[in-house]
Amino acid sequence: MQVFVDRNGGRRVAARFVSWTVASGLIVFAAVVGGTLLGAW
Amino acid sequence: MKRTPRLHWISILLGLLVLMCVVSFHAYAAIRPEPVPVAGGHRELPDGAFALAFHGGPDPKWTPRTLERLDAAGIKATFFVTGAQVTRHPDVARRIVAEGHRIGIDGFRAEGDLATGLNLALAQAALADALGVHTRLVGAPAEIDSGDREHQDIGTLVRMSLRERGGGVVRLHDNGSIGGDIARELAKQPGHRFVFVSDEPPVEASARERFTGAVTTWSQRNGGIVLVVFGTAIAIAALLGLLRTLMQLGLAHTDRRLRRENEPPPWFAPPVSVVVPAYNEALNIAATVRSIAGNDHVADVEVIVVDDGSTDGTADIAEQLDLPGVTVIRQTNQGKPAALNAGVREASHDVLVLVDGDTIFEPDTIGQLVQPFADNGVGAVSGNAKVGNRQGLLGRWQHLEYCAGSNLDRQILHALRCIPTVPGAVGAFRRAALTDVGGVSADTLAEDTDLTMAVTRAGWRVAYRPEAKAWTEAPASLHGLFLQRYRWSYGTFQAMWKHRGALVENGPMGRFGLLYLLAFHLLLPLLAPVMDLLVLYGFLVADAPLGLIVWAVFLLIQTASAGYALRLDGESLRPLWAYPLQQLVYRQLMYVVVIQSLITALHGTQLRWMSVRRTGRLADAPGGRVRVT
Repeated sequence: MQVFVDRNGGRRVAARFVSWTVASGLIVFAAVVGGTLLGAW
Repeated sequence: MKRTPRLHWISILLGLLVLMCVVSFHAYAAIRPEPVPVAGGHRELPDGAFALAFHGGPDPKWTPRTLERLDAAGIKATFFVTGAQVTRHPDVARRIVAEGHRIGIDGFRAEGDLATGLNLALAQAALADALGVHTRLVGAPAEIDSGDREHQDIGTLVRMSLRERGGGVVRLHDNGSIGGDIARELAKQPGHRFVFVSDEPPVEASARERFTGAVTTWSQRNGGIVLVVFGTAIAIAALLGLLRTLMQLGLAHTDRRLRRENEPPPWFAPPVSVVVPAYNEALNIAATVRSIAGNDHVADVEVIVVDDGSTDGTADIAEQLDLPGVTVIRQTNQGKPAALNAGVREASHDVLVLVDGDTIFEPDTIGQLVQPFADNGVGAVSGNAKVGNRQGLLGRWQHLEYCAGSNLDRQILHALRCIPTVPGAVGAFRRAALTDVGGVSADTLAEDTDLTMAVTRAGWRVAYRPEAKAWTEAPASLHGLFLQRYRWSYGTFQAMWKHRGALVENGPMGRFGLLYLLAFHLLLPLLAPVMDLLVLYGFLVADAPLGLIVWAVFLLIQTASAGYALRLDGESLRPLWAYPLQQLVYRQLMYVVVIQSLITALHGTQLRWMSVRRTGRLADAPGGRVRVT
């Protein structure tokens, strides 16, 4: 088994969850702020 | 192979974009343009009524005083505020509303700063955050100028303010002392009444507006902190870069001097076994084996080609060469470490040269490579890997990196006695050292780094022999380069993690080697992008010549260091022109590689060997024009 490799893939699932949460959070954040400013513009 | 993680790039890029917006907005809000009085349309007021319109605030000192004067006089006025000032002094803005006055917007950074609709949107956002309202009173209407910017005499100012008998909007300022005094005097004039500029009150801001206002307000106030964090990262990166250059210049020079000054020991000529692991190396294997077999070493040299289940006839090509002293072993595909171990088992000599299947040796490479073994404490020797295909920008960049990066690093680390990698392209090991560490491990994708660290930790010394040159084929495409470096970088992190115990051991690997890798192969590539980002920001948004100067000085130092490395290696300085260009694509690719490697490590993804597409072109290697088809 190589160093860092997660045998049961739990870390991968957790990391993907964090990635999805952060990415979608940032997209919503950018859409709300950018959309509001552009809308008022 | 499972798909390597990618989603994090969206987060990283969006995160950087958000940070850039925060910093840019902070800088934008800090600029105070000249106020421009806006002459809007005529606003109908009741006959004989005057509306006092204050501009330029809220001001922390003068607006409260103006409010006191208005309160004492019993006048309600209209305040045309600027968005950036509202964010700076929200309590004053709140007091204006709390005392019954009306709020309008006059600009974002200064009076009349409504040139773009975005400024209006930003001013509304500031209002939404501070007061929770959205105003329809945007931009001042046509006004009677009180003259409070030009005159000081109250009598004159009052006369000017009341010069329109039918009434109107009187233009005043609450960011100075005189506006309140005029209001007080106006109130004393008989026969006048005072109204708002508009009877329409502000409406409640939507949740989206308030959220946006909270974000822009935070950015305006705290963008400076982000800049400080960026600046700290740049300072650390610059210090690390400088430290590395100083170490390179100092230690590499010392290393060379010691080599020159020390009496060369008698020529050492042990018998040597060369192990060549090969997987789908049909394009290069013939040239590799011929170059090894053509050595001028004065003792016996046996060559063992281990074909690791190639599907392109690599083993057949090696056998068809029919060279004396060359043995070909075939095995099912088990990976490079297994192929190396199989070759080592088959080898009959105690000095083992391990060489990749795409490498060309010079006739004296083996003889030079084994010289350090004259010292019984030396367990491994690194040779000097050189790029054999230097055509094109990518080839030149890699050539420069091999000389200015890897080889110079190796000289420093040789001086510190902690070379972390004997490259797979050209390295030699003492059999006893290999036995001590249990052979080549498959724990990491950088089996060469893993093995070298293990050998050092086992108490053996690792030497560097720059004269032992080997020519290797560098990836010819950006994608190929990315795959190779991704494997190297990820493998190095694996090896560092595997050997983290060295940090608490009494040996050079923990004291210097791991710290060196941590500082210059992990921290520096992670921090350096900030410098590029800030220079970009300087170009796009702000006048930031400092960032550009630091960047240019950094580049100059690195170019000089690369020139020195080329000279040390006996190479021509001509490819140096490509070095500044390297900063534009190549360096960024290396950041991507390091970040991707870290993320892959966090994900725990099983990464397999990613083979690089071979071209068989090694035109810059001696005799390298041979091309097998």
